[in-house]
Amino acid sequence: MILERLSSENFRNLEAAEYRFHPAVNLVVGMNGQGKTNLLEAVYFLATTKSFRTARTQSLIRFGQSYLFVNGDIARQGVTQTLSAGVDPGESRRVLTINAERVPLGRYLQSLTVIAYSSSRLEIIRGGPEDRRRFLDRGIASVEPGYLERLNRFQRALKQRNALLHAIAARQARASDLDAWDEEFLLAAIPVSAARADYARRISALLGATVDRYRYHVTGLTLRYLPGGEASGDPGAWRQRLQEVKRQELRSRMTLVGPQRDNVAFELEGRPAAEVLSGGELKTIVLFLKFAKLEHFRDETGEAAVFVLDDIDAELDVDILEAVLLNLPAATQLFATSAKQSVISALETGPHRRFAMDGGRAVEVSEH
Amino acid sequence: MTAPPLAHLINELTKLPGLGGKSAARLAYHLLKRPTADVEALASAILDVKSKIFRCSICNNMTDVEPCVICSDTRRDPTVICVVEEAFNIPTIETTRDFRGVFHVLLGALSPLKGVGPQDIDVAGLVRRVQAGQIREVIVATNPNVEGEATALYIAQQLRPLEVRTTRLGFGLPVGGDLEYADQVTMSKALESRREI
Repeated sequence: MILERLSSENFRNLEAAEYRFHPAVNLVVGMNGQGKTNLLEAVYFLATTKSFRTARTQSLIRFGQSYLFVNGDIARQGVTQTLSAGVDPGESRRVLTINAERVPLGRYLQSLTVIAYSSSRLEIIRGGPEDRRRFLDRGIASVEPGYLERLNRFQRALKQRNALLHAIAARQARASDLDAWDEEFLLAAIPVSAARADYARRISALLGATVDRYRYHVTGLTLRYLPGGEASGDPGAWRQRLQEVKRQELRSRMTLVGPQRDNVAFELEGRPAAEVLSGGELKTIVLFLKFAKLEHFRDETGEAAVFVLDDIDAELDVDILEAVLLNLPAATQLFATSAKQSVISALETGPHRRFAMDGGRAVEVSEH
Repeated sequence: MTAPPLAHLINELTKLPGLGGKSAARLAYHLLKRPTADVEALASAILDVKSKIFRCSICNNMTDVEPCVICSDTRRDPTVICVVEEAFNIPTIETTRDFRGVFHVLLGALSPLKGVGPQDIDVAGLVRRVQAGQIREVIVATNPNVEGEATALYIAQQLRPLEVRTTRLGFGLPVGGDLEYADQVTMSKALESRREI
């Protein structure tokens, strides 16, 4: 899939201009604070309706304005569609359209997949379990259309079951009321858990292969799915696990097994990678992880996701970065920012378009 | 500043499901413009419904006769019970004219978040009807959401010792629609419940 065109209104400091992108490589250069990252963030927002820098949507809206939207043309398997994602104060949800027709989030997210690397975001390894669960969920949702719906169902069942545990503790409900909710909970939880376990296994294998391919010195890194409350396997095993923790659950008034407590262990020979690796090594590993995601997406869908690489100067091993970028899955469209004029010679020798940003607009666009 | 009687009406209307402040205000101003006779007809229709409609003692359907017209219809098959969450689900099933059994209205679905437990919905009444005998099948037609599914599971658990055939409504594709417009969950449910032709 190729992002051919993008325009925005009130998106941070970006001027409401139209950007036409190169199908292969787009380099965005400029001094800090001139809108390089904002342009990439707009690309990411168009695909995910979120930012890779902040959880606060409000901070994306240009100061003094009340709404924003980003729209773009996506060419995919010979068809071009216009996507638009917006934030409007009169709407509680994002305003999402495909070819000017309102669509629900689940369908919108299927239209464009962007995988982003930002050197300032290493939550996948350093962050908490919820960051890692999000990593798994976003990856799965990009290749499995029904996953978000399953996740919603699970979250709803979990909320209900927790509310019931509270009510039982407060003697407003009977312990036997749990029977029906246990069953509904595990019917909702098992598919989520199975999808995450499978995804983690696939990404771990791809990550290992990537590390080997580039002969990176950090070997033996594994990514292991740790099922919440050690619940796994068939419904019978889950039921038994739920029984084992029931008394504890009634005391703590919350569900102690299931995907809400999942974690992912990034380990190097059994020790947490976050403790063993240096800052530079971590960044390289996260880059490899993104590469693994790109390959997984390619394997699953037969298409290439768009790759967004923010701030390539920061501590990344340039030789490895070059090698990785030259080995991206075929037809991967790349967006990269840099504060330096010349960073990645491997990219600059091939065909690309270069955007020189200044004051929120591209002052110079050149074809190479 | 809205005149107090008008504000009072708007406030009452916002308590209705699906009505926000703006819609409620629009309705209130609309009522003001209507002839007095029309508004009186509406008011008395609302009062009438409260005084003349009650629950059927057998199935909990809303009725003005006891038992309700469905329970007392001798052409219907009283050995097949279709279980629904609310009385307003009955007309939806009735318009198909395919179902010739009787109903049981639960008066809700299990939802601990709303404080609704098994004692708050009428599964006990359903169990009594099955225990009374001659029931061949119970069709559970609760909503296909988390609450409806949990309720269906609860009903199945309660009926298991009575050894009555218990079925769940199928999930499938909307008839007359195009396959391409089916959402993914409906599609995978439809695949799951496919059948031989």
